[in-house]
Amino acid sequence: MKQPEKFQLRTETREGRCIVYVSGELDLEVATQMRAAMAPLVELRDRELSLNLRDLKYIDSTGIGILVSVLKARNASQAPFSVEAIPPGIRKLFDMTGITPFLTGQKQEQ
Amino acid sequence: MKATDELVMLQVPASAEYVDLVRVTLYGIAAKMGFSYEEIEDMKVAVSEACNNAVLHAYGNLPSGTTASAPEQAPRMEVRFIKKRDALSIVVKDEGQSFDALAVARQKSPMRGKSVDELHAGGLGLYLMQALMDQVEVHSDAGTEVILTKRLVRSEDTA
Repeated sequence: MKQPEKFQLRTETREGRCIVYVSGELDLEVATQMRAAMAPLVELRDRELSLNLRDLKYIDSTGIGILVSVLKARNASQAPFSVEAIPPGIRKLFDMTGITPFLTGQKQEQ
Repeated sequence: MKATDELVMLQVPASAEYVDLVRVTLYGIAAKMGFSYEEIEDMKVAVSEACNNAVLHAYGNLPSGTTASAPEQAPRMEVRFIKKRDALSIVVKDEGQSFDALAVARQKSPMRGKSVDELHAGGLGLYLMQALMDQVEVHSDAGTEVILTKRLVRSEDTA
Protein backbone atom coordinates (compact mmCIF):
# COMPACT_ATOMS: atom_id res chain seq x y z
CA MET A 1 0.00 0.00 0.00
CA LYS A 2 1.25 3.45 -0.91
CA GLN A 3 2.17 5.82 1.87
CA PRO A 4 0.24 9.10 1.79
CA GLU A 5 2.45 11.77 0.28
CA LYS A 6 3.46 14.56 2.55
CA PHE A 7 2.03 18.00 1.91
CA GLN A 8 4.50 20.41 0.35
CA LEU A 9 4.45 23.97 -0.98
CA ARG A 10 6.96 25.46 -3.36
CA THR A 11 6.74 29.04 -4.62
CA GLU A 12 8.23 30.25 -7.86
CA THR A 13 8.19 33.84 -9.06
CA ARG A 14 8.82 34.69 -12.68
CA GLU A 15 7.74 37.42 -15.08
CA GLY A 16 5.42 39.04 -12.59
CA ARG A 17 3.68 35.76 -11.79
CA CYS A 18 3.81 33.98 -8.51
CA ILE A 19 3.20 30.26 -8.93
CA VAL A 20 2.60 28.09 -5.89
CA TYR A 21 3.08 24.36 -6.44
CA VAL A 22 0.99 22.42 -3.96
CA SER A 23 1.73 18.72 -3.62
CA GLY A 24 0.67 15.81 -1.43
CA GLU A 25 -2.48 15.95 0.65
CA LEU A 26 -4.14 19.28 1.39
CA ASP A 27 -6.40 18.50 4.33
CA LEU A 28 -7.38 19.61 7.82
CA GLU A 29 -4.01 18.55 9.21
CA VAL A 30 -2.06 21.05 7.07
CA ALA A 31 -4.73 23.76 6.80
CA THR A 32 -2.98 26.14 9.21
CA GLN A 33 0.30 25.74 7.36
CA MET A 34 -1.37 26.36 3.99
CA ARG A 35 -3.23 29.44 5.23
CA ALA A 36 -0.06 30.89 6.73
CA ALA A 37 1.89 30.30 3.52
CA MET A 38 -0.78 31.87 1.33
CA ALA A 39 -1.48 34.95 3.48
CA PRO A 40 1.50 37.09 2.35
CA LEU A 41 1.13 35.99 -1.28
CA VAL A 42 -2.52 36.97 -1.38
CA GLU A 43 -1.46 40.52 -0.42
CA LEU A 44 0.79 40.93 -3.48
CA ARG A 45 -1.80 42.61 -5.64
CA ASP A 46 0.43 43.66 -8.52
CA ARG A 47 1.39 40.07 -9.23
CA GLU A 48 -0.66 37.32 -10.76
CA LEU A 49 -1.11 34.51 -8.25
CA SER A 50 -1.42 31.00 -9.55
CA LEU A 51 -1.80 27.69 -7.77
CA ASN A 52 -0.41 24.70 -9.63
CA LEU A 53 -2.08 21.49 -8.42
CA ARG A 54 -0.26 19.06 -10.72
CA ASP A 55 1.13 17.02 -7.82
CA LEU A 56 -1.79 17.41 -5.45
CA LYS A 57 -3.00 13.93 -4.49
CA TYR A 58 -5.89 14.75 -2.23
CA ILE A 59 -7.97 17.68 -1.08
CA ASP A 60 -10.78 17.86 1.46
CA SER A 61 -13.43 20.48 2.23
CA THR A 62 -10.94 22.34 4.43
CA GLY A 63 -8.56 22.65 1.48
CA ILE A 64 -11.37 23.75 -0.82
CA GLY A 65 -12.34 26.29 1.86
CA ILE A 66 -8.84 27.76 1.71
CA LEU A 67 -9.09 28.11 -2.06
CA VAL A 68 -12.42 29.88 -1.59
CA SER A 69 -10.94 32.36 0.88
CA VAL A 70 -7.96 33.09 -1.41
CA LEU A 71 -10.33 33.53 -4.33
CA LYS A 72 -12.50 35.96 -2.36
CA ALA A 73 -9.54 37.98 -1.10
CA ARG A 74 -8.05 38.28 -4.57
CA ASN A 75 -11.42 39.17 -6.03
CA ALA A 76 -11.98 41.86 -3.40
CA SER A 77 -8.67 43.52 -4.25
CA GLN A 78 -9.18 42.93 -7.99
CA ALA A 79 -5.94 40.98 -8.19
CA PRO A 80 -5.53 38.12 -10.65
CA PHE A 81 -5.78 34.56 -9.33
CA SER A 82 -5.98 31.25 -11.09
CA VAL A 83 -5.66 27.55 -10.44
CA GLU A 84 -3.91 25.39 -13.01
CA ALA A 85 -3.09 21.75 -13.75
CA ILE A 86 -6.01 20.34 -11.75
CA PRO A 87 -5.75 16.52 -11.60
CA PRO A 88 -8.93 14.65 -12.69
CA GLY A 89 -9.77 13.27 -9.22
CA ILE A 90 -9.57 16.73 -7.69
CA ARG A 91 -11.37 18.33 -10.61
CA LYS A 92 -14.25 15.95 -9.92
CA LEU A 93 -14.61 17.37 -6.39
CA PHE A 94 -14.34 20.95 -7.65
CA ASP A 95 -17.07 20.22 -10.19
CA MET A 96 -19.31 18.69 -7.51
CA THR A 97 -19.05 21.73 -5.30
CA GLY A 98 -19.50 24.11 -8.21
CA ILE A 99 -16.25 25.98 -7.60
CA THR A 100 -14.54 25.04 -10.89
CA PRO A 101 -15.67 28.04 -12.98
CA PHE A 102 -14.39 30.43 -10.29
CA LEU A 103 -10.99 28.79 -10.24
CA THR A 104 -10.41 28.35 -13.92
CA GLY A 105 -11.82 31.71 -15.00
CA GLN A 106 -14.54 30.14 -17.16
CA LYS A 107 -17.63 32.26 -17.34
CA GLN A 108 -20.56 30.73 -15.52
CA GLU A 109 -23.72 29.90 -17.35
CA GLN A 110 -26.49 32.05 -16.01
CA MET B 1 -25.20 -5.75 12.01
CA LYS B 2 -25.97 -9.20 10.63
CA ALA B 3 -24.14 -12.30 11.76
CA THR B 4 -22.43 -12.52 8.39
CA ASP B 5 -21.14 -8.95 8.57
CA GLU B 6 -17.50 -8.46 9.46
CA LEU B 7 -16.31 -5.65 11.64
CA VAL B 8 -13.01 -3.79 11.69
CA MET B 9 -12.77 -1.15 14.36
CA LEU B 10 -10.31 1.68 14.80
CA GLN B 11 -10.18 4.02 17.73
CA VAL B 12 -7.87 7.01 17.39
CA PRO B 13 -7.41 10.39 19.03
CA ALA B 14 -9.87 12.92 17.55
CA SER B 15 -7.01 14.78 15.95
CA ALA B 16 -6.35 15.82 12.35
CA GLU B 17 -3.07 13.94 12.22
CA TYR B 18 -4.90 10.61 12.50
CA VAL B 19 -7.33 11.15 9.65
CA ASP B 20 -4.85 9.87 7.09
CA LEU B 21 -4.52 6.67 9.11
CA VAL B 22 -8.26 6.19 8.75
CA ARG B 23 -7.90 6.77 5.00
CA VAL B 24 -5.15 4.18 4.71
CA THR B 25 -7.24 1.64 6.65
CA LEU B 26 -10.26 2.34 4.47
CA TYR B 27 -8.14 1.87 1.37
CA GLY B 28 -6.99 -1.55 2.56
CA ILE B 29 -10.47 -2.79 3.42
CA ALA B 30 -12.21 -1.40 0.34
CA ALA B 31 -9.54 -2.73 -2.03
CA LYS B 32 -9.84 -6.19 -0.49
CA MET B 33 -13.59 -6.11 -1.00
CA GLY B 34 -13.16 -5.36 -4.69
CA PHE B 35 -14.22 -1.72 -4.92
CA SER B 36 -12.83 0.16 -7.92
CA TYR B 37 -10.12 2.78 -7.64
CA GLU B 38 -12.63 5.55 -8.24
CA GLU B 39 -15.08 4.23 -5.66
CA ILE B 40 -12.28 4.02 -3.12
CA GLU B 41 -11.23 7.59 -3.86
CA ASP B 42 -14.83 8.73 -3.36
CA MET B 43 -15.06 6.89 -0.04
CA LYS B 44 -11.73 8.31 1.10
CA VAL B 45 -13.03 11.84 0.70
CA ALA B 46 -16.36 11.06 2.40
CA VAL B 47 -14.81 9.24 5.36
CA SER B 48 -12.22 11.97 5.83
CA GLU B 49 -14.97 14.56 5.94
CA ALA B 50 -16.77 12.59 8.63
CA CYS B 51 -13.51 12.36 10.60
CA ASN B 52 -12.86 16.09 10.11
CA ASN B 53 -16.23 16.75 11.70
CA ALA B 54 -15.30 14.56 14.65
CA VAL B 55 -12.00 16.41 15.05
CA LEU B 56 -13.69 19.80 14.83
CA HIS B 57 -16.29 18.70 17.38
CA ALA B 58 -13.55 17.72 19.74
CA TYR B 59 -11.58 20.94 19.44
CA GLY B 60 -13.31 23.42 17.24
CA ASN B 61 -16.63 24.33 18.78
CA LEU B 62 -15.37 26.53 21.56
CA PRO B 63 -16.40 30.16 21.71
CA SER B 64 -13.61 32.32 20.35
CA GLY B 65 -11.27 33.70 22.96
CA THR B 66 -11.73 30.77 25.32
CA THR B 67 -9.60 27.70 25.68
CA ALA B 68 -10.66 24.25 26.68
CA SER B 69 -9.84 23.13 30.15
CA ALA B 70 -7.80 19.98 29.82
CA PRO B 71 -10.19 17.05 29.56
CA GLU B 72 -9.52 14.03 31.71
CA GLN B 73 -9.03 12.03 28.61
CA ALA B 74 -8.01 13.27 25.18
CA PRO B 75 -11.04 13.27 22.84
CA ARG B 76 -11.29 10.17 20.69
CA MET B 77 -13.12 9.09 17.61
CA GLU B 78 -14.17 5.63 16.73
CA VAL B 79 -14.34 4.36 13.18
CA ARG B 80 -16.14 1.08 12.48
CA PHE B 81 -15.83 -0.51 9.06
CA ILE B 82 -18.71 -2.94 8.56
CA LYS B 83 -18.11 -5.33 5.68
CA LYS B 84 -21.43 -6.57 4.37
CA ARG B 85 -22.02 -9.02 1.56
CA ASP B 86 -22.91 -6.27 -0.88
CA ALA B 87 -21.82 -3.03 0.77
CA LEU B 88 -19.33 -1.31 3.02
CA SER B 89 -20.60 0.88 5.84
CA ILE B 90 -18.27 3.17 7.71
CA VAL B 91 -19.46 4.51 11.05
CA VAL B 92 -17.62 7.53 12.44
CA LYS B 93 -18.52 8.32 16.02
CA ASP B 94 -17.36 11.16 18.20
CA GLU B 95 -18.12 12.37 21.66
CA GLY B 96 -18.76 15.96 20.68
CA GLN B 97 -21.73 18.12 19.95
CA SER B 98 -23.97 17.54 17.00
CA PHE B 99 -23.61 19.63 13.91
CA ASP B 100 -26.60 21.06 12.16
CA ALA B 101 -26.99 18.29 9.63
CA LEU B 102 -30.38 19.33 8.38
CA ALA B 103 -29.46 22.92 7.67
CA VAL B 104 -26.51 21.72 5.67
CA ALA B 105 -28.34 18.95 3.86
CA ARG B 106 -30.80 21.42 2.40
CA GLN B 107 -28.07 22.92 0.26
CA LYS B 108 -27.62 21.75 -3.27
CA SER B 109 -24.27 22.13 -4.94
CA PRO B 110 -23.09 24.86 -2.58
CA MET B 111 -21.21 27.14 -4.93
CA ARG B 112 -23.15 26.96 -8.15
CA GLY B 113 -24.61 30.09 -9.65
CA LYS B 114 -23.26 32.49 -7.08
CA SER B 115 -20.98 35.48 -7.26
CA VAL B 116 -17.54 35.28 -5.69
CA ASP B 117 -18.68 37.42 -2.75
CA GLU B 118 -21.45 34.97 -1.95
CA LEU B 119 -19.23 31.89 -1.89
CA HIS B 120 -18.70 30.18 1.40
CA ALA B 121 -17.23 26.82 2.23
CA GLY B 122 -19.47 25.98 5.19
CA GLY B 123 -21.34 22.72 4.83
CA LEU B 124 -19.08 21.45 2.08
CA GLY B 125 -18.04 18.40 4.10
CA LEU B 126 -21.52 16.96 4.51
CA TYR B 127 -22.38 17.93 0.97
CA LEU B 128 -19.44 15.91 -0.34
CA MET B 129 -20.33 12.92 1.85
CA GLN B 130 -23.82 12.87 0.37
CA ALA B 131 -22.57 13.33 -3.16
CA LEU B 132 -19.96 10.58 -2.91
CA MET B 133 -21.73 7.84 -0.95
CA ASP B 134 -24.90 5.88 -1.65
CA GLN B 135 -26.31 6.57 1.80
CA VAL B 136 -25.47 8.99 4.62
CA GLU B 137 -27.11 8.91 8.03
CA VAL B 138 -26.36 11.28 10.88
CA HIS B 139 -27.36 10.33 14.41
CA SER B 140 -26.91 12.74 17.26
CA ASP B 141 -27.40 11.45 20.74
CA ALA B 142 -24.47 11.22 23.07
CA GLY B 143 -22.01 12.54 20.52
CA THR B 144 -22.49 12.35 16.80
CA GLU B 145 -22.50 9.27 14.64
CA VAL B 146 -22.20 9.44 10.88
CA ILE B 147 -22.94 6.27 8.90
CA LEU B 148 -21.66 6.19 5.34
CA THR B 149 -22.59 3.33 3.02
CA LYS B 150 -21.29 2.40 -0.42
CA ARG B 151 -22.81 -0.50 -2.31
CA LEU B 152 -20.53 -3.00 -3.94
CA VAL B 153 -21.45 -3.79 -7.51
CA ARG B 154 -19.36 -6.79 -8.48
CA SER B 155 -18.53 -7.23 -12.12
CA GLU B 156 -19.76 -10.86 -12.09
CA ASP B 157 -23.18 -9.62 -10.93
CA THR B 158 -23.57 -7.38 -13.92
CA ALA B 159 -22.06 -9.79 -16.46
